[in-house]
Order: sequence, then structure tokens, then C-alpha cells
Amino acid sequence: MKAKSNTGARKTLIAYLVASPSLLLIGLIVVFPILYTAYISLTNMNTYHWFNYSIIGLDNYKRALFMFDSGFLSALLNTVVWTVVNMVLQLVIAFLISNLLNVKRLPLRNFYKTILMFPWAMPGYVSILLWKTGMFNSQFGLLTQWMEKLSGLTVRWLQNDVSAFLCCTAVNLWLALPFMIMIMDGGLKSIDRSYYESATLDGAGPIRQAVSITLPCLRPIIGPSVVITVFTTFKQFDIIYLMTQQVGAQTGAHIHTIITYAYENAFITNNYGFSSAISILIFALLIVFAQISNRREKEETV
Amino acid sequence: MKRKKWMKRIAGSFLLNGFFIICCLLALLPILYALSVSLDAKGSLLSANFSFIPQEITGEHYIRVFTEKPVLQWFGNTMLMTAATVLVAMVTAVPAAYVFSRRKFAGRKVVLRVLLLLYSFPSVLSMFAIYKLMSTFGMINTHIGLIIIYAGTMSVFALLNMKGYFDAIPVEIEEAGRIDGCDDVKIVTKIVLPLARPTLIVTGVMIVNYVWNEYIFSINFLTGSDRMTLASGLYSLQATETSGSWPVFAAASLVVSFPVLVIFFWSQRYMVSGLTSGGVRG
Repeated sequence: MKAKSNTGARKTLIAYLVASPSLLLIGLIVVFPILYTAYISLTNMNTYHWFNYSIIGLDNYKRALFMFDSGFLSALLNTVVWTVVNMVLQLVIAFLISNLLNVKRLPLRNFYKTILMFPWAMPGYVSILLWKTGMFNSQFGLLTQWMEKLSGLTVRWLQNDVSAFLCCTAVNLWLALPFMIMIMDGGLKSIDRSYYESATLDGAGPIRQAVSITLPCLRPIIGPSVVITVFTTFKQFDIIYLMTQQVGAQTGAHIHTIITYAYENAFITNNYGFSSAISILIFALLIVFAQISNRREKEETV
Repeated sequence: MKRKKWMKRIAGSFLLNGFFIICCLLALLPILYALSVSLDAKGSLLSANFSFIPQEITGEHYIRVFTEKPVLQWFGNTMLMTAATVLVAMVTAVPAAYVFSRRKFAGRKVVLRVLLLLYSFPSVLSMFAIYKLMSTFGMINTHIGLIIIYAGTMSVFALLNMKGYFDAIPVEIEEAGRIDGCDDVKIVTKIVLPLARPTLIVTGVMIVNYVWNEYIFSINFLTGSDRMTLASGLYSLQATETSGSWPVFAAASLVVSFPVLVIFFWSQRYMVSGLTSGGVRG
């Protein structure tokens, strides 16, 4: 008995020894900074209190959650709208395109599919910068030039909130659709063809078939990928930051997601304490979402 | 009657192909536009007298990218950092992933659950804390500092993703190896790792992609043009409303993207199996 528990302890020790380089690295770069951020969130650290900051308790959290003009709540609302709009558009468009890709007589299917993967293959920040400069720039952006030709007006796409939001949505769709199309295309391929054949015999039209066969069969297959995409959309930083908020190149729009808001408070306005409080709040939100989505998934698989 | 059906089919296929041609053009629009701007000799694409295809082709902007900007230096920096990050992350994460997949030990489940939570944390949010941490070690504005940050950030993904794949490899194969007289090290190197090739490749490619495309840490942590990575260098080359050259930026963008495109399409065949069996969720 004693020998057994001894070997158990030894096994545990060896396991941690083998895993320790990786765990130490994670501890240093991921865990410690999160704990440190939590600590800073309780202080008034900012440009004026860089060394002589003091602990002010939960004031930063109160400011973020209960002062409506602090900007956090409106950024949160923005992020929710952004996530919903993007996910709905993405799912509808990807569903349409992947279904059309699976129409029987389409000899060029694989060619189209490869081309459609390009936005996914490109490095994300390069694409965003190309969209910003090549499409939306007020001098040489392609869309600006086309608009000028058509209407004679110079549109500053990224200058006001609504149009900047729409432009960012367009870029996000462009970047994210390939992945969704690929996932849905894979899902469609796994649906048994015989369902459709018997539905056709029963006289069901293509729309009826899409609603009654394709959607319910697709749902469990694409579920996990959709959850991942909801998270990445909710956590989106690059598009909004690069398009509208780069230092020295702000375009005039003030759309914030919670992450760009946290970034701005840390690195632009230097409210480190407040920014850290927001970071911790976001982390808490993400943990709650992750738990909910895990639980739902478990319920569905049981 | 038959002819009518035939006509309908032709019209349908015409519409369908037309739809996909438009989709493909939209998917390539910014890339093609950047390509034609970067090759355009006369700047005719920038003037009012505008067309999509350049009238005269030149390689001048590409030459300027390589001669006027330290692109090769950035490329070297990026290669070095990518290789070092992949090496550090994989060498540490492979044994850890294996142990978490195969051995039962105290605290295993708790650590895995914590790792899953950490995976959902965007590293941008703790960037300030990481900055302070690195500055106490004097590692701001060094490549080693960034390599450690990148490796640590990607370790969570690497560990979880590979652990998921190892889980799917049947234990019986290892037991067979043990009966044949292999020790632990041999079992891992001769049996498990060859079987885990897809996940090793995919995990490696994801790390390469991450480092290659990471700009927010490198623009905040590195100063001085000669230390920059391709991503932060490209960021500094941007043509704004008032400064910079858009054709040179377009050329540089395509040069930077090219290796990524090659890696992407090469690794496609491993992507699905290497990612989906890992089972890491956002």
C-alpha cells in the first residue's frame, strides 16, 4: 500500500517535471501577467501615478460598470451589436455560397473554392491594411474613386461611426467567410444524399429541403466552429484598431469594441488601473461565455 | 418541351457561374488592386484617368522595396524569431502535451481546465503587465524578449491542441511497443510522434502564422527600424492620407504575404485533421 502511494507520488513528480518547461513558460507569460493585471486593476496607476500609485480597491470596476459615460458599457454594447451583425451575415452568406458550391453541375467547383480561400490565406493585418489604403483611403482608395466617378462626391468612408462600422463589417466578412464556407461545405458533404432523393420524390422543393434537411443536419456539425467564430468576432481587435484607430492616423470614427477600448486606455490615454479593470472584466465575461457554451454542447451531445 | 428544359439548364449554369465569378473577384479585389498598383509605371491608377489594369508595367516599386527599405533585414529578423519561437514552443509543449494525454496524476484535470480558460484570454489585454514584466528583466526592445512572449502565448494552444490529438492515438499501439522492448523515450520518438505528424505540422504552422502576423506586440516592444519584424516594418511603411508611397506599400504587402500564402496552401491538406481532432475551443 505504502509502496503504491509512493509510486503515485513519483509518477506525479515525473509528470510535472516533464511538463514543467511548458508550464513555467505559460506561468510566466500568461498567468503572471493576468494576476498582475488584476493587481493593477485595484490601483490608480496612470501617467501621474507611475511609481507612487496606491491601492484604491474596486473604484476602477465601479467606474467601468456604473458610470455610463466611462465608455465601457457603450463599448460593450457596440461589441454585442458587432458580434450579432457579423455572425448573422456570415452564417447567411456562407450558407448560401456553400450550398451553391454543392450544386451538381458545377465543373469549376474546386477552382472557385481555391480562389475563395485567398482572403483566409492572406496574413490578416496585411489584408486589413490593404483594405484601408487600397479601398477606403480618401485619395486613392478604389471605392472612393468609384464613388467619385459615379456621384462626383468624395466619401470619407472611415470618418463617421456608422459608415466606419459598416466598412469594418465588410472587411470582417471578407476575412471570415472563407473559414465558414469551408466548414459548411464540409458539413454539407457529410449529409446523406438519400434524404434529398426521397424528399424530391415526396415533392419537397429546394427551399423546403434546405429548411427541413440541410439546416438540422448541418447544425451539430458546424456548431463548434460557429462557437469559435463567435468568440473570435467578440474578441476582434485588429480590424477596428487598424482601420480607424492607429496612432497618428485616427480617422475620426469612434467605434470601440471592448478590447480596443481596453487597449486605448492602456497605451494611448495611459489609465493603466482602469484599463486593467476592463481587461479583467472582459476575461470574466469570456469565462462565463465559455462555461455556457461548454454546458450547452454537453447537453446536446448527451 | 425538352428544349425548354435544356435552355433553363443553360441559363441556370450561366447565372451560377456568373455568381461565383463575382464572388471570386470580390475575394481577390484588394489583392488584385494592390498587384496592379504595385506594377503600374505611370501612376495612372492614382489619377482621375483611372483604370484597373496598368498601361505600362514596371518592377520599380519592388526594387524600391528591397533597396530603400530594410525589408531583407526585417525578413531575417522574422525568420529568426519564427524559428526560435517554434523551436521553444514545440520542444516544451510536445512532452507536456504527451504527459497530460497519457499519464494520470494529481492535479491533471485542474491544470487542463485552467489552460482552457487561459486559452480564451486575448494576450493584448495583459500586454501592459507583460511590458512591465519584461522591462524588469531588461528585455524590452530585444528579440529574445519577444520570442519568450510569443512562445509562452502560443504554448497554451500548442499544448491543448496536441494533447487532443495524442488522446486520439490508441494506447494499445504503445503497449505493443512496450512489449517489443521500447522504453518511454523510444515509444514517444519512434511510435507516437510519427503518428502525430499532422498535429505537429498544423501546430507548427499555426505558431509560424502567429509570429509572422503579429504586429501589436512588436510595434510596442521594438524600436528602431533595424530590429523590426516584417509585420511591424510593414506597419511603419503604411501610406497614410498624407505620407508614404502607396505603390511601394502595395508591393511590400504582396512580398510579405507570398510566403504565408505558400505555407497556407501547402498545409491545407493537414489543416482539417490536425485542427478538428485537437478539439480546442475559442
